[in-house]
Amino acid sequence: MSRIQNLIPSITRKPAEREDNEPTVRPWYEVKETPEAWGLTVYLPGVAKEGLELAAEEGVVTIRGRRGWKAPAGWTALYRESADAPYELALTHDNTVDVEKIHAELKDGILRVSLPKAEAIKPRKIAVN
Amino acid sequence: MRSIVQYTHPRSTSLLPSFGFAVRSPWRGLESEIDRWFESTLSDFMTPAFDQRFPVDLYEDKDNTYVRAELPGVNRDEINVELVNGYLTISANRKTHGQEGEESFALSRSIAIPEDVHADKVGAAYENGVLTVTLPKKEEAKPRKVTVEIK
Repeated sequence: MSRIQNLIPSITRKPAEREDNEPTVRPWYEVKETPEAWGLTVYLPGVAKEGLELAAEEGVVTIRGRRGWKAPAGWTALYRESADAPYELALTHDNTVDVEKIHAELKDGILRVSLPKAEAIKPRKIAVN
Repeated sequence: MRSIVQYTHPRSTSLLPSFGFAVRSPWRGLESEIDRWFESTLSDFMTPAFDQRFPVDLYEDKDNTYVRAELPGVNRDEINVELVNGYLTISANRKTHGQEGEESFALSRSIAIPEDVHADKVGAAYENGVLTVTLPKKEEAKPRKVTVEIK
């Protein structure tokens, strides 16, 4: 047996810890484009400001939302259509967005984010000599 | 609707048993690609923004029945909760500011309430986009212990 373990050490090795161990749900979202910016609307019912994380790094905008409500003890669920899993949404913008000027607002479970376009990609006129 | 360049799909729906030699199953990448294709094809038909029905949860404890409905982005005054003949009807108007100005979208759902309810003591609260309706049970509907004598 130990010979097999020597040949294939992975049999006895414990699986490595994975970072994203909990299942997440992708929320419904919509992106609308205007000449100046992109407007992102994300439906996050049950998420309050405390449970919301909005991060922009390396060309990716990540939104994580955790519901703030837990069923009180004594409640039995008869019928469930929503999930308890946290919301997660990652959008790649590849540096077309000016991250300094991102503006977000969370109201009544809807997150509206305004992602201004980076100067480099705005249309510009080039003068011809 | 133009979407930003390319979006990643971080949804991990499975807690895969990880064998020793592959912490991430080699099929994971393929699975998430296929999930993404199906979602983008089907998602245009069933989006919460244009779907008249909204997710609803039904709970109970010994005194009340609770209904939780996910209604993000609705004004409190636009929500109607009615109890008729053992059916609870929740209807709401969602206003969105589109290019043409304000657009109004109606949402409605009826749920059968399992137990008898004190209709005048029903309460509702709306927080963070979730509406919770509390329906107090009538005395006969509460769980009671009944001892049965056997002759």
